[in-house]
Amino acid sequence: MKTVNDDNSVDVRRASWSYQAALRSAVVGGVFSVIVLVLLVVNYLQIKVLDPLRAERLEMMKVKFIGESTSTELLSEIRQLDLDIRRDRIRRQVFSRRGGYLLLGGLAVFVIGLKWTATLRKRLPMPGAVGDKQARQVRAAAMARWSVTAGLGLFAVAALIIALAPQVDLVEDVAPSYPTEEEVNKNWAGFRGPGGAGISAYTNIPVKWDGKTGEGIIWKTKVPLRGHNSPVVWEGRVFVSGAKKGKRRVYCFDVLTGGLLWTGDVTGTVTSSSGAVDVMEDTGYAAPTVATDGRRVYAIFANGDVGCFDFDGKSIWSKSLGVPDSTYGYASSLAMYQNLLLIQYDQGMEEDAKSRMIAMDGFSGQVVWEVKRPVAGSWTSPVVAKVGGQYQLITCSDPWVIGYNPTTGAQLWQAECGGADVAPSPIYAGGLVFAVSPYEHIVAVRPDGQGNVTDTHVAWSAEDGIPDICSPVSNGRLVFLLHTAGTLTCYQCADGRMLWEKDLDTSFNASPSLVGNRIYLLSTKGVMFIAEVGAEYTEIARCELGEKTQASPAFADGRIYIRAGKNLYCIGKAD
Amino acid sequence: MTEVKDSINRRDFVKGGVRGGFLAGLGGLFGVLIGKTTKNHTVWQIDPEICIACGNCATHCVLEESAVKCVHAYAMCGYCDLCTGYLMPEAKELDTGAENELCPNGAIKRTFVEDPYYEYTIDESLCIGCGKCVKGCNAFGNGSLFLQVRHDRCLNCNECSIAAACPSGAYKRISADEPYLLKKVGHA
Amino acid sequence: MSSTLILILCGTALGVERFPPPDFESGYGLPQTTVPPARESVYEYADVAVLLAALSLSSYLVIRKRSRRAIFALMLFSLFYFGFWRKGCVCPIGAGQNIVLSVFDNGYAVPFVVVLVFLLPLVFTLFFGRTFCAAVCPLGAIQDLVVLKPITVPLWLESPLRLLAYLYLGAAVLLAATGSSFIICRYDPFVSFFRLSGNLNVVIIGACLLVTGVFVGRPYCRFLCPYGVILRQLSRVSKWRVTITPDDCINCRLCEDSCPFGAIRESTADWPRRDYNKSKTRLAILIILLPVLTLSGALATRAASGWLSRAHPTVRLADRIYLEESGKVADTTDASLAFRGSGRQIDELYTDASNIQSKIGLGSLILGVFIGLLIGLKLIKHSIRWHRVDYEAERASCLACGRCFDYCPREQIRLKKMEEGAKDSE
Repeated sequence: MKTVNDDNSVDVRRASWSYQAALRSAVVGGVFSVIVLVLLVVNYLQIKVLDPLRAERLEMMKVKFIGESTSTELLSEIRQLDLDIRRDRIRRQVFSRRGGYLLLGGLAVFVIGLKWTATLRKRLPMPGAVGDKQARQVRAAAMARWSVTAGLGLFAVAALIIALAPQVDLVEDVAPSYPTEEEVNKNWAGFRGPGGAGISAYTNIPVKWDGKTGEGIIWKTKVPLRGHNSPVVWEGRVFVSGAKKGKRRVYCFDVLTGGLLWTGDVTGTVTSSSGAVDVMEDTGYAAPTVATDGRRVYAIFANGDVGCFDFDGKSIWSKSLGVPDSTYGYASSLAMYQNLLLIQYDQGMEEDAKSRMIAMDGFSGQVVWEVKRPVAGSWTSPVVAKVGGQYQLITCSDPWVIGYNPTTGAQLWQAECGGADVAPSPIYAGGLVFAVSPYEHIVAVRPDGQGNVTDTHVAWSAEDGIPDICSPVSNGRLVFLLHTAGTLTCYQCADGRMLWEKDLDTSFNASPSLVGNRIYLLSTKGVMFIAEVGAEYTEIARCELGEKTQASPAFADGRIYIRAGKNLYCIGKAD
Repeated sequence: MTEVKDSINRRDFVKGGVRGGFLAGLGGLFGVLIGKTTKNHTVWQIDPEICIACGNCATHCVLEESAVKCVHAYAMCGYCDLCTGYLMPEAKELDTGAENELCPNGAIKRTFVEDPYYEYTIDESLCIGCGKCVKGCNAFGNGSLFLQVRHDRCLNCNECSIAAACPSGAYKRISADEPYLLKKVGHA
Repeated sequence: MSSTLILILCGTALGVERFPPPDFESGYGLPQTTVPPARESVYEYADVAVLLAALSLSSYLVIRKRSRRAIFALMLFSLFYFGFWRKGCVCPIGAGQNIVLSVFDNGYAVPFVVVLVFLLPLVFTLFFGRTFCAAVCPLGAIQDLVVLKPITVPLWLESPLRLLAYLYLGAAVLLAATGSSFIICRYDPFVSFFRLSGNLNVVIIGACLLVTGVFVGRPYCRFLCPYGVILRQLSRVSKWRVTITPDDCINCRLCEDSCPFGAIRESTADWPRRDYNKSKTRLAILIILLPVLTLSGALATRAASGWLSRAHPTVRLADRIYLEESGKVADTTDASLAFRGSGRQIDELYTDASNIQSKIGLGSLILGVFIGLLIGLKLIKHSIRWHRVDYEAERASCLACGRCFDYCPREQIRLKKMEEGAKDSE
């Protein structure tokens, strides 16, 4: 029954049961929805806040149980918590889903109920007084204009605020993340310098000094821990590493004064091997030479720990590669190409298939590529050289000499001419790769082939004066081999004809280096033999340091850095 | 009245012209697109070679239970007793105790096959797609465990929230007629 | 297997199979990796067929049958099918982004279904008005359901608010074209209700919109929907319009408060004579200002393009790598670590990011022109005297819901629901 009120609205309230029903169902639906919503919110908070905390706790308990304790209490706690978490997780998920449907249903009832009541309460339209239509419309238009202008103003202000943030032009303003070719060639950034060639970029290298009197020696500084690795020089800093069982350190010295700037401790990671690592006395724990890219210095040790420090000595990252299975102790030095740290990780016998070449991003230590190598353990270092405009990563091992693309690790060519127990590293000069197989031969391989080039790209091989430890050195026309026993042999690069050999009657471990036409040979007694080499050997000087040396020297502008005994020497003219 | 009719006709004519213009535009758009369409619709998949198992798949899916689950490429598995995707690092016992399991929800089931091989299967109802097992398997093992979008769960959103949050950009749209990117065997 | 633990924390090293395949002697067969199939393409095409049928039926109901009840029923069906059943995806609103992306990116081919889903409602709107909005769009349906006590939004509020939809469309097209992000999908407020789960922030926005929708009819449709922007323009020139009644309007004013969406315009009064010159000058100034506004819009948006470009993941990554390399931040993120482990060069990344930024820069210039022009045109629109004799539903804004049909006495008579001259009596 409807009653008509004074304002002509129709009042259905009192009579219609449908109205009451609609209203009541709306209320019920609404209350139900609110309750379900609250429960869902609680459930959501449990899932998002509580559960992750419990999961973290479980994780910590597991680690603790594995690491330290054997308590059965902890064990049963872990198992109970694990079960609880799993059960609750499923329960909460089911509730979420069902709750969602219930909420939907509740809201539907609520909305439908409300709509129904609204429909039932619908009154006949009663438009109000007309008013001054003209004025109203004019004013509305005017106000609209102003508000649109205000909108424009807001937009402009917002755009201005956003635009004020500083911008960096990534292509123009940003320093490169790895050194240029020029910078690498100007410094001595790794074992045997640029390209691993052992050739000094500077010709103003001293030819006279004396360890006893101190003549020609700018400074001499003690290196706290021993190591057979060579010094590495980048602008104002010299780096060496040293280690003994349980301790692995990187040292940074100032080039001008020899003062120790900082000591870096390479602790590896939690899973580093803390057990004994077998190394031969002759190799030591810190045989591999460090490497640098002008921003950070990287070091690797006999137990497979790799450390990275910035130039101020802060440890950036540290990784464990696992103890390498190396008969004499791991000795391959690090090499670098652009931002990649290249690690030659040869181990075991060829059939063990353990050997790998690993490339790590210098900044983060992330492995960028890793390839298996079909070789046995070796004690050579990889070399990065520019071959015909493209850089190649060249390695010499047992039995393969392999050239890789340093960016991707793709194998470019391989030649089967390596031998067992190989320690001399390969070099690239005069368009050829010279690789030595101790006591067997030296081969010259043309590195422009593809795949197995053993039968096609070996230019020549020779068998006289083959060294077992020292790496060869070449100026592109002549290649020099230095035997541990003291024999220096000179071959012609182009055809492998032996030109001469000279017996120096002393022993050498350090690899020979070239400064222009002069060869620098550092004996184990600490005597540097300096000679002009060409068609014949013409000795210029012998300089004595008075201490035993193993490591190859590093050459910088007017200076030589030699690691002898417990000390690091800087040889040159003090100015 | 003819005046009014004429003006109406003129307006209608202009409107008709604009309408024709819009139709032509839509038709042109259609024509341009014909060369760029595919017959099948696209679905989301993770490229297992790019994925770094960061754990975002478990938390960023719009669904409460993520549509991304761990999948096992059995042909690539080594069936090792010491499975580094199943066991916590340096676990004391190589058994199915909760204290040894890497998976926070116990979703990997280990069953003995024959000495020394164990089979590992994933219970999808328990897997949350966190990727811990994937990390372990990739770092220490054969890499046979990987995360992948499951099409019986995925809603195939136009803008996948996980894809937008993936740090290595591993999400791809691929054609629905070959809707899975699975890891293949690469044994030498 | 080997008893020595080879502890190699290699991070992202993949594809290195360390252990050989097992040699089973007991006849064990390798299980297969399960591959539950994706939704068959035929169902996608079925959805398009349903869309086509719904659009046709909606147009029929709005133009021919003119029954609010039937429109409501169809709307409920659409809410159920396109909303809760299909979880709101693929929808015509978002489909535009895919199409824009495929036009600008040769590497992406848009599925044919998506093209159809985008174009069909547009074609129907060109002929019948916004019948898509009336009874087919699930987002509109869910908002329409909660309209209970609609208030009139005054013109000065409605006009600038509508600019938001244009901004949304422009930004969405720009970001989709550059492959940065699909923001329409990301910020879709109602899809989380259809899926019953979603990002918390978006759910809250959706809930707020629905609560607002109780009082302000269809706020997303009117002020935010980017597809609605296109539909507005197409609807203006549609062949058959939605009218309050096909009969002549008698200016009885009974339909004034009938539209919850503020689409009904009253007949206009005469312009005050004294304002003629002022309004002519104003109009002239605004027309002259139009290019100025366009240019300043372009410059302003171009200036903000650096911020817009952050929507692209490559730009974000390049920024992060830059911060790390220059030492401005101490640690790395998952994304930067993943990048460094990928072997891609940093200067390549910087170049890529730079290219993307210049593309977005160009796009924001165009977007700025669009916005400047838009604001200028809106100002001009509010300075022009419109002439209306009847009460009519403004073609661009009318969502064809059919609520006004019951309010018009001429319509009631036409439908024989009422007799001419009859009084309401019981």
